[in-house]
Amino acid sequence: MTTGIVYHPAFLTHEQHPLHPERRERLAYTDDQLTEEGMWEDPRILRLHPRPATREELSWVHDERYLNFLEQSSRTGGVIDLDTVIPPGLFAQVRLAAGGGLVAGESVMAGTVRNAFAMVRPPGHHAGTCSGGGFCYVNNVAILVQSLKRKGCAKILILDWDAHHGNGTQEIFYEDPDVLFTSIHQSGFYPGTGDATEIGAGEGTGYTINMPVPAGSSDEVYQYLLAEVIGPVAEEFNPDFIAVSAGLDNHFTDPLAGLALTAGGYAATMAFAVELAGRLCAGRLAAVLEGGYSVEGGLPYTTIGIIAALAGMDLSGIRDPSSYGPLFRRAFNPGALRHVQETVRLLRTVHGNIWHCLS
Amino acid sequence: MLFTGIDIGGTNTDIAIVDGDVLTRKVPNDAGLRGALDSLDIRGRLAVSTSQPLNRLIAAPPASVYAITIPGPGLPSPGSVAGMVNHRGDILEEIDPAAIRTALEEHAAEYLAICGKFSVRNPALEEQVRSIALSFYPPERIATSHGLARLDFPARRVTTEVNARVLEIVAAMVRTISGYAQDFLFFKGDGGLASAGAVLRDPSVLFNSSPAAVALGARYLTGRSDCLVVDIGGTTTDLVPLRDGAPCMQDVRIDGKNAFIRSVQAESIPFGGDSVIEAHLSPRREGNPMAFGGGRPTLTDALNRCGASIGEAARSAHLDPDRAAQAVRAYISRIAAGVRASDAKIIVGAGFLADHLIPEIGREAGVRCILPDHAACANAIGVAVSRVSLSLRVHVDTGRRRVVINGEPVHLHQEMDDDELVAWCKGEVRKRALCMGAPEEDVADVSLAYFSAYDVIRYGRKKERIADLQVAITPGITVDAK
Ligand SMILES: [Zn+2]
Repeated sequence: MTTGIVYHPAFLTHEQHPLHPERRERLAYTDDQLTEEGMWEDPRILRLHPRPATREELSWVHDERYLNFLEQSSRTGGVIDLDTVIPPGLFAQVRLAAGGGLVAGESVMAGTVRNAFAMVRPPGHHAGTCSGGGFCYVNNVAILVQSLKRKGCAKILILDWDAHHGNGTQEIFYEDPDVLFTSIHQSGFYPGTGDATEIGAGEGTGYTINMPVPAGSSDEVYQYLLAEVIGPVAEEFNPDFIAVSAGLDNHFTDPLAGLALTAGGYAATMAFAVELAGRLCAGRLAAVLEGGYSVEGGLPYTTIGIIAALAGMDLSGIRDPSSYGPLFRRAFNPGALRHVQETVRLLRTVHGNIWHCLS
Repeated sequence: MLFTGIDIGGTNTDIAIVDGDVLTRKVPNDAGLRGALDSLDIRGRLAVSTSQPLNRLIAAPPASVYAITIPGPGLPSPGSVAGMVNHRGDILEEIDPAAIRTALEEHAAEYLAICGKFSVRNPALEEQVRSIALSFYPPERIATSHGLARLDFPARRVTTEVNARVLEIVAAMVRTISGYAQDFLFFKGDGGLASAGAVLRDPSVLFNSSPAAVALGARYLTGRSDCLVVDIGGTTTDLVPLRDGAPCMQDVRIDGKNAFIRSVQAESIPFGGDSVIEAHLSPRREGNPMAFGGGRPTLTDALNRCGASIGEAARSAHLDPDRAAQAVRAYISRIAAGVRASDAKIIVGAGFLADHLIPEIGREAGVRCILPDHAACANAIGVAVSRVSLSLRVHVDTGRRRVVINGEPVHLHQEMDDDELVAWCKGEVRKRALCMGAPEEDVADVSLAYFSAYDVIRYGRKKERIADLQVAITPGITVDAK
């Protein structure tokens, strides 16, 4: 079975502004790296073509008035916040990005591919029901999850490991017990939400699990959280599908965040998720690209790591260039793991009465 | 203007001299390349199509090729040594010469391929490995990958291994032919011509050039740009579709793997003039037809028994006439079925036996057939009248002040905007084609096959620009032969 990669040169054309961090240069080097690795020609990889999401599909997640606002502002240009302007033509771009996530999910459900990675732009996890922000306009992963529900997946696990908290996704599924939202993100950082005590509401209580981590958290912190929290909770939840908000901004070279994951750490994290999906839901997993702004330093190597892990390729060569060593040492916080062990103790108290594995 | 074309086939070498009139000749390969060249009084431009030795080599069991790879971070690769070039062409990790010497000592092989990731953006590491390897291998048994100019390290590696195996034999041919004509050109698998220098950088371009030659020859002889060329050879009959004046190209896989080798799309049916007749016509060649001194009756002998007079027709006499007629009918219906499956409206005959078989094939397939004069040597005519084709893949990085053209870095002297850059690259491809001897009119039309460019932003400011483009002069018939 193959891994699908949803990618289209049109994903390179979205630009809020030529100097904006979320710009076309972002995927250009990554595209070079994938091409040079022979990924597009590899029999284990199937390139999937995105389709524009329909207006109806967007409305599974977003408020009609918000969508009207986006569509109209896209004609002339507009503003959501200082980081998130609406360039003319945006609506077509966000429909294509959301459609990229949908194609990833559809291809997995149809059995065309075992799992898939939607390498889309712009990202989506900060977009809520009726708001955008943080470079996001529509919530690609939430739209994917809603379509999976309509395809008969009763329970879906979202694993959001972007450096920033996926406040939009959390808001959308906050009261939904069928969608378990788990997030590892840098604490005390944009957008400010994602405290361990935010655990969902109503019937969804306990179905939001936030794991804030301090700046400088690296591979062992992620492996610890996967082993101690995400793995056991996923087993107890027993999902039909795993959706990953795959941010690439936790790499130690990222200019917009302060974490210290390595390319090898990304591969190991994705390999864990793939193994989990294999054990719990016949391998059904789709990842959607979120942030990641170390366009040249980190993205080429982290993206290869993620795809190689999805496709079950040899991960022994996945690493960062050795010349990045000083950058890693500057970003790495050796005390982060101890701090996170404290956080997990807190999680056990706030979630222990809902999740047996945490009690 | 006078053009000489030579196509070295499986059993014969075809020669065509075109100067308004067409003169053709067939000489058996026994005399070798020198024999063919000796028989010629070469004037004008000489072009040589010589894919046979390469085709045989590629089809043969793999020779022992050692590949040294410099994969850097990412997917690992067998034969890897330390060193890393990144996507910008920066060297982020150096090679370890001592480790490379040890690897070369431990892996004895006949040929050496050197392939590093992103070497097409900076060939320095491959060149360093090559200079170390020169103490272990003769230069003509070493191939590097950067000249292939395209990203896709695994495909480059496969192609470089092919090149390592064929470089020596191609270099020997270059020396032989240069003794007869200094500025000769090679005919490539895409139907275009290239200088010996260009071919030595990537000899795989010579692969399977015969179908391209016959397609171009048929086009030249008939003026048809949409037809199916039926080329009746000794071992096979090839059906080569021509659309809008050009054959269709396809990727060639080597041992099931992707490579940067392309060739003309053709359906090869395993029956030809030398196919032996046992109880029935068999898809096998066992030497020459009896009419040409062979020991087994063949399709050619069968034609003789049906009234033709090919070679020493009397030698075909002991083939039973009924079996002969049956073999010819079987051949015609097999080829006609291939023609019908192709949807062609018009077929053009080519090859030694075209005169004897094409009209019947056309009748049975229900399509119009054209049998041009000199059909027997259409391939050599195609070689003679072809033109220089050339593609430049250019990567420009203003931040590094570097332009890399087909894997070779050049210093960037001046800033150019996108339009100026495209114009400059078009000028460069023209200049290089003219250097290979192309007439002005042949290089007038340069196509921009690919263009992509973006700004490099650092600290919120536009700093640099990166552009990738491909400009090309496509294969065709040289204006001087029209
Ligand atoms: Zn982010």
